[in-house]
Order: sequence, then structure tokens, then C-alpha cells
Amino acid sequence: MEETVMHRMKRGAITCRDECTVREVAQIMVVNRIGYCVVVNEKHEVVGIISPRSILKAFGMDLDSTKAKEILLPYTITITPRSPLSEAIELMNKKRIDHLIVVSDRPGSKAVYGILHGEDLVRVMTGVGGAA
Amino acid sequence: MISVCDLMHRGVLYCYPDDSAKVIAEMMATHQIRSVAVMDESGEVWGSVSMLDLLRFYGKDLEQTRADEIMRPYRIEVDPQWPLEEAITLMKKHKIEHLLIIDPHAGPKRPVGILTDFDIVRHMSDIKVGDFEQMLKIPSP
Repeated sequence: MEETVMHRMKRGAITCRDECTVREVAQIMVVNRIGYCVVVNEKHEVVGIISPRSILKAFGMDLDSTKAKEILLPYTITITPRSPLSEAIELMNKKRIDHLIVVSDRPGSKAVYGILHGEDLVRVMTGVGGAA
Repeated sequence: MISVCDLMHRGVLYCYPDDSAKVIAEMMATHQIRSVAVMDESGEVWGSVSMLDLLRFYGKDLEQTRADEIMRPYRIEVDPQWPLEEAITLMKKHKIEHLLIIDPHAGPKRPVGILTDFDIVRHMSDIKVGDFEQMLKIPSP
């Protein structure tokens, strides 16, 4: 049976609002020691993801007035818990991002279901937590 | 003006070109890092392997895959005295999340440290060391 995203993802994600400033997003990442932040709108729908590289885009700008929505990587590709893991890894390499947002597979849903972390996949490759 | 050496990590975690991909995966998992330098026995850098480079081999035989097969060759020279802006421009241009820092005084291709995008995010967050500890502190009941 083909391994799916469901097997390796983590439920839940750390999020911020699209109106947050870049400084706030950087602080969320540093305090939580994570390499991503999912951006949601007022309806809690996914708008995009911010990686450390997205934050670099704002270097030299006023970090207290630049908003998260100006630097985010827009959420366009749907990865659901049932997507094959190989497809997710291919997407990570294509987008050069080591975290992917997983949304619920209900039609039209844009609610965050979980996150697929690159570091969790590396841990699996070492043989800890089930063979790859 | 802030320079690369103010934010970089001193020292580089490395493996040898003939080490297997499994060794690299174990190094990444143990040290919670996203990239490993590939160096020969003389200390000369050949390239680096990022987490994404390694993930391409997910589900394949890692014991049979050597570091020099999956690494990206080292081509970008970054001096520790460079202004941070120059390093950021390189990261954006090449879409990479880490830079190996080469000190010309230590000799060619001899890395003295590494600068990651997360180091720069930490600088941009403007959280001072004392404040950071305060934020992590769990209030006593």
C-alpha cells in the first residue's frame, strides 16, 4: 500500500493572521523554534505559508509596518491527508520549502488540518518511527 | 553595520564524500539541523547536502547512496566580513537556506562557520537573549 501524507503529518499547525507584521511572524518562529508559520484570514482559512526565506524578502524594510500577507508564499497547491507521500516530497523540492500545509479533504475546505515536516521525514529515513 | 560573522555559527557539521546518506540523515535528526557540509580528509569543502536534497531519496536504499552523489557542489564564496545584505542577496538569488562561510585567512575552501536563514530571522525578530529566556520561562504556580 502506498504511503500517504496521513502517515507522516502532524495534526495542527502554528498560525498567524494575515494582518500580523513581519516582526511578529519572526518572533513566533523564534519563540516556537519552528521554520514555518501558516497564514490564515479572519475566517481561519489558509492564505499561505511563511518560511524563513520569505522573511528575508522583508530585510531592509520596516518590519513593524510590513504585513505577513505581503511576503507569504500563496497557498495554491492542495495536499490532503490522502495525497501520496511521494507527491508531497516532489512538491517540497519544486517549491524549495521543507514544510507543507495539509488541508482537510472535504470539498472546498481551506481549514488547516496539519503540517508535513521535512525533519519528521528525515527521522523516518534514519529508521526511527517506522521504516521509510 | 552588521556583518556575516556577527550572526553565523562557528564550526561546521560535516561528513566525508564516501559516507552514506543514512549517516547524513542521522546527523540531521540528532543535531536538528537542515544541512551538512561534505568535506574531504584535508578539510577542504566539496559541497553540502540540504534536507530537501536528502528527501529526494526517501524510501530508497540510503546505505547504498553516497554523500557525493546527493550533494550540491560548493561554488559560493562567502567571507565572514561581508555585510549581511550581500549574504541575503546570495541566498535569495540561489534559493538556498544556508551559506558556508570561508575565512580567507584559514585557507581556500576551509569553512569556518555556517549562516542559515533562521539565524537572520532571529536577528530580525529583535528578541534579545534575556527577553527570549523570559518568554520561554514557565510561570511557577
